Amino acid sequence: MPPSQRRLDRSLDLFTGLLVLAFVAFCLFPLGWTLLTSLKPEADIVTATLQYIPQHVTLENYVTLWQQSDFPTLVTNSVVVTSITGLICLTIGTLAAYSFSRYRFRGRGKLLIFYLVIRMFPVVLMIIPLFIMMRNLGLLDSRFGLALAYTTFLLPLCIWMLKGFFDAIPLELEEAARIDGCTRLGALVRVVLPLARSGLVTTAVFVAIVAWNEFLFAMMMTTSQGSRTWPVGLQLMVGEFQLPWGPLSAGGILSIIPIIIFFALVQQSLIRGLTAGAVKG
Amino acid sequence: MFVDDPDPRLHPLPHRLDRRRFLQASAMGAAALMLPGCGGPQAPDGSRINYWHHFTNQTEIRGLQRVTEMFLAAHPDIDLLQENIPNKDFMAKFTAAVQAQSVPDTTMVTSERLGNMHAMNSLVDLTDRVDNWPMRPDYPEDRWQGISIDDKIYGVPAFAFVDWMYYRLDWLEEAGIAGPPTTLEEFQDTAIRLTDPAKGRYGFGMRAGDGGQFIVVDMLEAFGSPIVVDGKAAIDISKATEALRFFSELFTVHKVVPPSAPNDSYRQIMESFRTGQTGMLWHGTGSLTEVQRSLSAQQFGTAVKPAGPEGVITRLSYLYNGMMKADNADIAWAWVSFWGETAPAVEFMEITGYFPASARVAQDERVTGNPYFAAAVESVRIGRLPHQFVGADAWGRLTVLPAFQKILTGDRTPVQAAEEMAAGLEKILS
Amino acid sequence: MDPRKGVFAGDSNTSILVRAGSRIALISETHSWAYLLLLPSFLLVLAVLIYPVGSGILLSFREMRLTRPDLGTPFIGLRHYRELWSDPVFHISLVNTTIWALVGTTAQFVCGLISALALNRGLHRLLPGMRLARVLILLPWVMPSVVAGHMWALMLDSRLGVINDMLVRVGLLDRYMAFFADPQTALPAVLVVSTWGAFPFFTLFYLAALQGIPDDLYEAAGVDGAGLWLQFRHITWPMLVPIVVATIVLRMIGMVNAPDLLLVLTGGGPGHATQVLSLFAFQKAYAEFDFGYAAAVSVVMMLMLMAFTVVYVRISGVTKE
Repeated sequence: MPPSQRRLDRSLDLFTGLLVLAFVAFCLFPLGWTLLTSLKPEADIVTATLQYIPQHVTLENYVTLWQQSDFPTLVTNSVVVTSITGLICLTIGTLAAYSFSRYRFRGRGKLLIFYLVIRMFPVVLMIIPLFIMMRNLGLLDSRFGLALAYTTFLLPLCIWMLKGFFDAIPLELEEAARIDGCTRLGALVRVVLPLARSGLVTTAVFVAIVAWNEFLFAMMMTTSQGSRTWPVGLQLMVGEFQLPWGPLSAGGILSIIPIIIFFALVQQSLIRGLTAGAVKG
Repeated sequence: MFVDDPDPRLHPLPHRLDRRRFLQASAMGAAALMLPGCGGPQAPDGSRINYWHHFTNQTEIRGLQRVTEMFLAAHPDIDLLQENIPNKDFMAKFTAAVQAQSVPDTTMVTSERLGNMHAMNSLVDLTDRVDNWPMRPDYPEDRWQGISIDDKIYGVPAFAFVDWMYYRLDWLEEAGIAGPPTTLEEFQDTAIRLTDPAKGRYGFGMRAGDGGQFIVVDMLEAFGSPIVVDGKAAIDISKATEALRFFSELFTVHKVVPPSAPNDSYRQIMESFRTGQTGMLWHGTGSLTEVQRSLSAQQFGTAVKPAGPEGVITRLSYLYNGMMKADNADIAWAWVSFWGETAPAVEFMEITGYFPASARVAQDERVTGNPYFAAAVESVRIGRLPHQFVGADAWGRLTVLPAFQKILTGDRTPVQAAEEMAAGLEKILS
Repeated sequence: MDPRKGVFAGDSNTSILVRAGSRIALISETHSWAYLLLLPSFLLVLAVLIYPVGSGILLSFREMRLTRPDLGTPFIGLRHYRELWSDPVFHISLVNTTIWALVGTTAQFVCGLISALALNRGLHRLLPGMRLARVLILLPWVMPSVVAGHMWALMLDSRLGVINDMLVRVGLLDRYMAFFADPQTALPAVLVVSTWGAFPFFTLFYLAALQGIPDDLYEAAGVDGAGLWLQFRHITWPMLVPIVVATIVLRMIGMVNAPDLLLVLTGGGPGHATQVLSLFAFQKAYAEFDFGYAAAVSVVMMLMLMAFTVVYVRISGVTKE
């Protein structure tokens, strides 16, 4: 490699590194401030002069949060709802996306657009009819019911996203499998899915995050004794007469942790899926 | 791309699901999912009731827990499920519940919301029960005004939001001012004298963000403009203009208010007072404990809000508990009326600072003995009750507040804003 | 070889699974396979979305004011739409929504694309810390909007705000600024918060797409002497276009339909400076209880999104294959 190319590469590396660093700083700054705030006692948060480094570090905000908001129950509910949503979305969505990606049938284009258009209606107005429907089905205040509600507005997104990833996988591979005697389902499961793994995981992460953070439906359809989820519990802390900055910040930090764990776990398969993605020879 | 090609190597299945059948199947499947299933109205459970409220901060919840404890001790056979809903989202959830006919047994009711709740036919008429209630005489007539429509009573008073004013004692001393202002003229004067940009001090923490609409409406009335008379819009434009001009000039002309006012809501005005940015603050007794967290008795005092030229701006609103279902009525009534008894009312007040609604309880030593509460007792005497007409809440939030904000930001003159508010009121009442 | 078994590699582990699923696998050989794949999602969408959306659209042609049950719910045709047209708040909301959605989506897209390109290169060149960076950059989107909104409100607060403090120390401001109280700075401030919270959505998907582009293509281009810009234009960008279109459309839907951040930070104020259609519809429904009117606003929002999508998708040529 000529030295000028190496120099170009080096300076590009530096530039890339700086750019990434800038983005990371932009992303982490508010989170860092949230973390610092969560460790300060209230007297040090609402003061005339700003305290950067906490003079008194305390975990009382986390304790308050744990006790006052019934944290374990809320988080469990959120985890369950998110898992069910992810499972349903990904299985049903994969089937539909595969169909859209591989088959040309009458009404394909229109159906694709239809799925998208249906999503364009503001959620705000759908809540009451959906509420009535859930009640009739006996699914009100149940984790499955909430997951179902989430699935319906996440499904079209899933299908569009997954279709994009499936589109990127060349047909030759499935054709080869079929020639070898594989059924279409077999080709889907054994050839396409592994190659689309990074796309699947990405979509799964997306679904998980949206379901985890969703507030409006959860607030309307759950109760505190039933399946109330974490974001509703957080919002409740924003009382009309008091905004407890300490516990709210603690809540913010705690919200992120399960998702980070989830993402860290799937990060590995993201990488593995990628190296298997190239079409060799 | 694959197209549907029959592969001769494979055995075709007997049935063919073509597009038409697919659509039929979908339609049937969808219809099946839509049938009303097991969710009919539930059979009344003899000993369990639920209660919806919008207490959300820690002190309020502690107060509620104490009252609940006392109630359960007095009625061990009853099971109470309480459900807290953020105040901002309360009406949304309430509306959905009414539409789906899935309502709680009891609920918290504010006067401002009574009109809307009643218009949805959601509250149970409690007139007979109240008339036969032994505690009824402890409650003067004005307590019932906020929960009655057409002489029918829909709830029992639980406690009161009493408006008052906090002021910095030490700042007044420094400025050589004898005592807190009692009229709006004095108020403006005091605010000007307390403002000191060099020290980062402003005289008054104006709430022109969320929640500020109530103060603006109070101001209109204090300058002599009625709001609604016999169900019709009755705003006097010239008096309303004067009110708006006076109040907005605190910000635009005299600059005695922090520049963040147009977006300042409860949190901001409280923080500005606690951090020593403002010298006077208008709120209610419920925030006393919060102010005490940052300021000592030498630093602040409480007083009745200053009076306007033709009326007071002190607002007094009672919080009620009402019933929504006829099942479990006796148990629900037991809970709703429990708040009126002396012991729970006093303990609730001690925890939260919310004033008792019962006149008798208000004479309890624990109330009269507290030096801060002198202002509250006086405010209860002169306070104005909130408006209850259907759409009051919406008019305040969606017409009055933005119009007032536009005066502050220079997009409207006071007279234009007054006209906008009057027009909006007519529209809401039509 | 027995075609009913559908085995293709023939080892004993897989054959057990395949034999158990062979009946299902056979169904995949029918004509209707394409439709069967679609059936579950179609049923779900039909059942759980059609009814609410359909009733919502129909509602816009009726009067439904929950606090005036005496009025009933009569059919009133286009009256709500006529009222909308003469409502000044509607027009302000329309303008604000357009600015909010276009500027917001663009800013988020640009940040997302650049960060994805940078991360992709960094991961490819095995620069240190890139795996960690990829998780960290995702965090703003992971945080619930309630918390993010309030934390930014605290950072930008005109009394307790750390950003104000830093800007003053550095000399860019001479005193704390009340970002949300000034109509000039309110919408830009909320846009900054929105961009911070939403750009990782783009980063996530673009990075995945970029990492799916085979290296050989770039190597071949490099051998042919094509520089970075040409490589981007002719290799990277064409492969990204489908996912760019999909993500931008989805994000536009999110920006137009969701009032969350504005509800938390400004409530549409001061004086309608940040009032958008989604908030307007929400307030009409849950504060004024005028559901018919709110439905009409929602239909307008939906039509705007449809118009945008049709134009945008056509321009990008993504459905032509």
